[in-house]
Order: sequence, then C-alpha cells, then structure tokens
Amino acid sequence: MSKTPGLPDRATTRPRKIRLRIAARTLTAAVVLFCVGLAHAATIPLRKLDWSYMPPDALAATNAGSDQTLTSFDLPLHWSTVEGSPLHAVALRMHFRLESVPDQSWALLLSQSSEGGRFSVNGHFIGAIAAESEVRHVIWRRPQLLSIDAPLLVEGDNELEVQTTYGPGAHVLAGVEVGPLSELWSRYALRFTLDYVSTWIGATVALLTALVFGALWLQRGESISLLLAVAGLCWLLYCATWLVEVMPVAFRPPVRLGGMAAMAAFDATLAITLLRLSSLARRREEWVIGLFAALGPALSLASSMQADPYLQVSWVPALLLIVAIATGVGLYRRTRGLLAPHPLVLVVAVALVLAGLIDLGPVFGLDLLGGVPATNFAAPVMLAALATPLVDGFIKMMREAEAARAELETRVREREQLLKRNFERLRESERVKVEVQERQRIMQDMHDGLGSQLMSSLMLVERGAVSNEQFAQILRESIDDMRLAIDALSAEHADLAAALGNLRFRMEPRLRAAGMELTWDARQLPEEIGLHPDVVLPILRIVQEALTNALKHSRAKAVRVTLAVEGTGDAQCLDIRVADNGRGITEERAGGRGLLNMRNRAQKIGAQLKIATAPNVGTTVHLRTRIGPVSPTTKPGQTVLNTQAIIERARQQ
Amino acid sequence: MSADQISIIIVEDEPEFRRRFAQIIDSEPTMRLVGVAANKREAQALIDREDFDVMLIDLGLPDGTGIDLIRSVSQRKPDVDIMVVTVFGDEQHVVSSIEAGATGYILKDSTPADVISCIRLLRAGGSPVSPVVARSVLRAIRSRMGGSTTGSTTTPARSPSAENNPLSARETEILQLLAKGMSFNEIGEILGISPHTVTAHIKKIYRKLAVHSRGEAVYEASQMGLLKT
Repeated sequence: MSKTPGLPDRATTRPRKIRLRIAARTLTAAVVLFCVGLAHAATIPLRKLDWSYMPPDALAATNAGSDQTLTSFDLPLHWSTVEGSPLHAVALRMHFRLESVPDQSWALLLSQSSEGGRFSVNGHFIGAIAAESEVRHVIWRRPQLLSIDAPLLVEGDNELEVQTTYGPGAHVLAGVEVGPLSELWSRYALRFTLDYVSTWIGATVALLTALVFGALWLQRGESISLLLAVAGLCWLLYCATWLVEVMPVAFRPPVRLGGMAAMAAFDATLAITLLRLSSLARRREEWVIGLFAALGPALSLASSMQADPYLQVSWVPALLLIVAIATGVGLYRRTRGLLAPHPLVLVVAVALVLAGLIDLGPVFGLDLLGGVPATNFAAPVMLAALATPLVDGFIKMMREAEAARAELETRVREREQLLKRNFERLRESERVKVEVQERQRIMQDMHDGLGSQLMSSLMLVERGAVSNEQFAQILRESIDDMRLAIDALSAEHADLAAALGNLRFRMEPRLRAAGMELTWDARQLPEEIGLHPDVVLPILRIVQEALTNALKHSRAKAVRVTLAVEGTGDAQCLDIRVADNGRGITEERAGGRGLLNMRNRAQKIGAQLKIATAPNVGTTVHLRTRIGPVSPTTKPGQTVLNTQAIIERARQQ
Repeated sequence: MSADQISIIIVEDEPEFRRRFAQIIDSEPTMRLVGVAANKREAQALIDREDFDVMLIDLGLPDGTGIDLIRSVSQRKPDVDIMVVTVFGDEQHVVSSIEAGATGYILKDSTPADVISCIRLLRAGGSPVSPVVARSVLRAIRSRMGGSTTGSTTTPARSPSAENNPLSARETEILQLLAKGMSFNEIGEILGISPHTVTAHIKKIYRKLAVHSRGEAVYEASQMGLLKT
C-alpha cells in the first residue's frame, strides 16, 4: 500500500460522483420536507409572554397570586441563571386571539422548551410536564404537545399560563404555538423526529464508526482510523449527555461537563483529522488544538460552571473557528491541487461549520431553524463522510491486492508453461537422441548382418559357385537374420522370452525336418526380462547360431534349450544352454567363423560364453549374462522426469 | 467340388505370391480357390460377390490398407476366417489385424504344408500364434485396462482387474505361456488340455480383442463427436 487511504483518487471518482448526487438529492428532499413542516396556516404562534415570579412553593397551589410584577418578553426566550442560584418559580402568561370558538380539539405545541410545568388555558388546567425541582434536573430536548379541549377556548382573547420552576443554567422557551390538534400533531411528530430521533440515529452512526474504525485501528494501527474512532466515540458521548433529559440534580454538573468535553473533543479531533488529511500533521498545532479544547471543560470545572455562559460566547465559537480554519486549509489546498481531504469531506465540513454557527445563533439572538439542533445532523454525516474515503481506500487496496494476486498467478502460470515447454523440449531432444541411437543401431546391424551376408552371397552367386538349393538356403538365412533383428526390435518392451520363443517357432520345423527333437525349457523364465534391444539381438544371434550349428553339423538326435534366470537383484543372471547329443565340434570347425562370431558377440555384451564339446557325446553352448535391474540411463526412451514435482518446487521458491 | 471343401479367396497385390498361394490351394483337394484380388477395389467386389470360408489377405495393398477389408468382412461375415499374410509376423501388423477381426496370420515364406495346416487349424476353430504376437496381445489388453505399456518393465504384470479385462484367467495363462515360447503341445501338457483346445482358446482371445477394440473405437468416436447419438 503506497497511498494513504482517504486520499482522492481518479480511478474511483465515478461511483463517488453518484454518491454525491444521491446525497444532494436526499438533502434537498429533507429541506423541502422541513419547509413544508414549517408552513402552518391555521396555527397561531405565540410571540410574547408576560413573566412574573412566584413564591417558590407556589407551584403546589392551584391558584397563583397575580399581584406579582409583570415583565414582557419576546419569544423565543433564552435566559440563564448563575450557578448556585436557588430554584425560581415563575408564571408565564401568553395570549392569543380567536375569531370564533373552534369546533374541533386544539392543542398546544412547545417546539423548544427546556422546562416543564403546569399548563392552563383560560384558567383551566390542560396538563403538566415534569419541571425542575429540588431533587430533579430537567432539560427537555423533545417537543411537547398538550391538547386543549375546544370548550375551554373563548372567542376573542385567550390566556395560556405556564407555571414552572427553573434552576441554574441556560434555559429556553421557543416555538410555542396553539392550533388544531390534527395539524399540530403532525408538526409535533416532525419536530420529534428532527430534534430527538435524529440524535439517536446520529449516536448509532457514531457508535458504528467508533466500533469499525476502532477495530481497524487495532488491526492496522493507522492514525486516521484512530482519529475517526475517537471522533465517533466523542459524538456518541455527546449524544448520550444530550439525550438524557431528566436526571437527579447531582448528575447535572458531570453530565453537562461531559457533554461539553465530548463536543470539544469531537471538534478538536475533527480539526486534527482534517489537518492530517491535508498532510499537515504537525505535533505542535495538534497539541494547541487539544489543549484549547480541554480549556473549556477545565474552566467550567474550575469555576463550578460559573464560567459556562462566558465560554458559550467565546470558547465555543473559537472551537468552531478552529474547525473552520482546518476546513479552510483543506479547501485552499484542494484548490491548489495539493494533498487535501476528499471533496466530499470538505463539503460536509463546511456544512458542519455552518450547522455549528446555526446552533450558536440563539446565543447571539439569531434562531434560524427554530431550535432544531443542526450540529446533531451534521456531525454524523461528517463521520460518514470521513469514513467514505477510508472505505474507498480499503476497497481500492483490496482491488489492488486482488489484481496483484491475479498478476502473480498469471506469472506463475507463465513460468509453469515455460518450465513445461523446456521439459518437453528436453524430452523431445532425448527422444530424438534415442531415435538416432536406434537408427544407428539398425544401420550397424544391417551392415554387420544382413548386408554382409547378402554381399558375400552375391559374390558366391556371381562366381556361379552355388546351386539353386544353396541359393535358397542363403536367402532363407538372410530372411532369418532379418527376422531376428525385427524380433529384437519388437522386444523393446523387455521381451527376450518372446523373441527367443519366436526363434524357437522358426527353428523347430527345420530341426524336426532334419530328424532332431527340440526340447524347449523356459519354465524358469520370468514373464518379463528387462534387457535392452542392444543386448537382446546378440543373444538371439548367439542362440540362433548355436541352433544352426546343431542343425548343420552335429548330426544329433535331440537338442535341448534351457532358459533360466538365476539369482536376485543386481546379481540376476540370464542363463541359456543349447545342448545337443551329436558328434561334437570337430577339429577343423573349432576355429570356424560361426564360433568366432558367437564369442565376439558375447564379448561385446559382456556375457560369458562357454562351449563344452566332446566327440560323440555332444556340444553344449552355455551363455550367461547379467540382467540386473535396469537403470534409467541404460534405458533410453524412458526419461524419468517428474515435471510436476519440479514445477511444484519452482512455485514454492 | 464337395460341400465340405474349404472355399478361399486371396487378396494379394504381388503376383508371385498370389500365384504361389493359388497353387498351394489348388493342389489341395480339400480346399477350393474361389477368387483372387490384387487390390482393395477388386477385393471388395469379390467379397460382395462370392461366398467363402477363408480370406487370405495382405495388409499392404496398392489402394490402401487391408485393415478396412478385414473389419468389414469380420462384421458382415462372422463365419469367415480371416488370415493375414505377412512378411515378418511382426506385432504391429498382426495385432492391428487381430483387432480388426483377423483370427490368424501366416508368413509369406511359409512352406505349402504350413499354409495348408494353418488354414485347417483356423477352420477347426483354432488360431496359430507366435510368442511375440502372444506377448503383444497381452500388452494390448493390459493397456486397455489402463496399465502402462512402457512401464511394464518397472511395474511387473499388473493383476488384471476383472471388469476391464476381457480375458479369463485360463486365457491369460495360455497367453503368458505362449509368450514364453511354449508350444501348444507343451502348454496342453502343463494345463492338462489338448493342444487343439489351446488353439481354440487363442481364437477366442482374438475374437475378444476384436470385439473389445471395436467397442472402444465406437466409444472413442462418440467421444470425438463423430457419431450421432
């Protein structure tokens, strides 16, 4: 992996463009839906309230004193109380005019009210929502809806009274409307989704981000994954503190501090992530950002939350500014074509900064979205946007790995083919070599055997020294010799026994015709004898010569051929005896050509040849040759190359 | 011309040998020469026209190999004995003829007595065989069974598996003895059967080899898509 994941990459811009388009459409649809939700024709927004303090225990009484000082405020109303101040009880009165008494149920919608209280219309109680008490801290994030029975309403001026208590901290009352229940109900549902459910969704996204990238970081140790996991965790924590609306009073400081710290950590992590994605990962700046983020919670803690209102207008905007600067740096680098965060990340970062500004608005008296927490939308989207390039990077990496593996496989296959080809070539050349040897052997054989025999016969015939009978005899011998050669060639598959058998079949009728009984004892012979044709032919020739000698010269009555294999393993010997009971070899024949040929042939193949002869007892030709196991080198044509094994070994290297 | 005369046709392109074989048969009263052919075309006409018991055929004909003729005759006229006339009786010629359906072979330079006795043996239900041919038949059958032929030296005689080996144990034994150079008489003595039975076994082996190779050829042809199924 040569590239950091999350960097833009041209090869995958197409699917990303589609993704952007989908995101844009979703956003448009949401905005349209939101605007539809805001459009309210028949409802009456309440814009003014009269504020009067009550004795702290007045809440218990149903009828509050009306002699308190009235102060008028415009809605939306944001106010805060210093830490440590006691509970305040107030009666808030709002007025609305009706042209006529409606004939259907009406309702009161509190889009954004951090406080609960008792609610009455025209002095009639319509409902209560849990409010701050000595033991209970309440900070409502969800909208509230109370129904108003139509008969309670009167033509002309109507009064809505809220009796509530509030403790230290920031408070808000905004988006108070009355109207037909059916209409407000759907508005209430929308607000509930926007304010409350969306934060749950955001928390889920943050949780998933934290889990996925935390796991990734544990596996791979990449800093970006860690930052994303931390950001996810921070946002999850923030959502947790935000979603807890009712708690024991003692829990208020830690929950508030936790929320503050979580938000600050989220912003800081985000800023650092953006800078790192711009490859501006400088330790010092990161420390500064981190310390600044820690400053707010630290001051809040040190001042027992006294400093919170000041932090709200200084430190919180400054934190947002840091994120904005990091985003700006990214945008600048992107326009300059430098290494920068992915465009999607930058777009969402800008949106996040804007959302932060919107959420800060009420502090400076500017309420753009009617109190809908914009950051709660933008932050999870930011997390998702940051995750997208990372995921893309991983996908790309996986594709690259797959491609690399495929290429490797192709190369291995090519190498394999090459090896195979080489071995085939080797085999081929081996085969050619064997063929050449074979051809040379046959040529040599024709030269020595048939050729010279025909040649000398031709001389005799030309001299006119042969009778027809002799001529036929000469030709018959020539053919016999050729048959021997052919049998020897056929004996390629280690078939000495069969070749000798063929010799027997040819010779037997002739011996019988000459009045000789041939006994052929091959019982001691194994089924197959491994001998090279180079050796088979001389053996055949020697046996034929011995039989021919017996036929021509011995005047024997019986000839016995005994074939046997003796010994085992390397010491295995082929033992051939051709014995006749004739007159023996006479003096004048002892040095004859036939016997000399037999000896020469035996010598050539390294065999022992013994000829025992006694007058009128007979002659025994005894041939003995080692046959031992055939090694591959002495058996051409059977190259034992295990190609597969060699390829396997090459593959492993 | 008596009914028990053996009727013979000769397919041989060399005039000298044709004449020689014709002479041998003519001079034998128990045999009758029905016709001779010098090439495949003539032979085909002769085969279509005449009824005969034995066909002597040379493989190397001027207009093609005699193997096709052997195959068609052995399929169309299963009662006919086909005898291949060969110069050397070498395994390649003989085994492919046997696979095509021939049940005997004879060397070209055989004596008249040999020729006559070979034909008689064939008609009597036997087949002559030389050791090298016996060995080749064994090898051909083993290679059918999936055993390697070249490796037979290093892996001695695989035990024939029953489902692939068309030969009975007795037939295999006879072939093995023949391959060692034993004569029919000797084999008969060893196995306690008559020499005639030995040759009858050989003829059966030849038939099996032919049928087996035919089945194999059909299988291979259908594998190659040559036959419509």
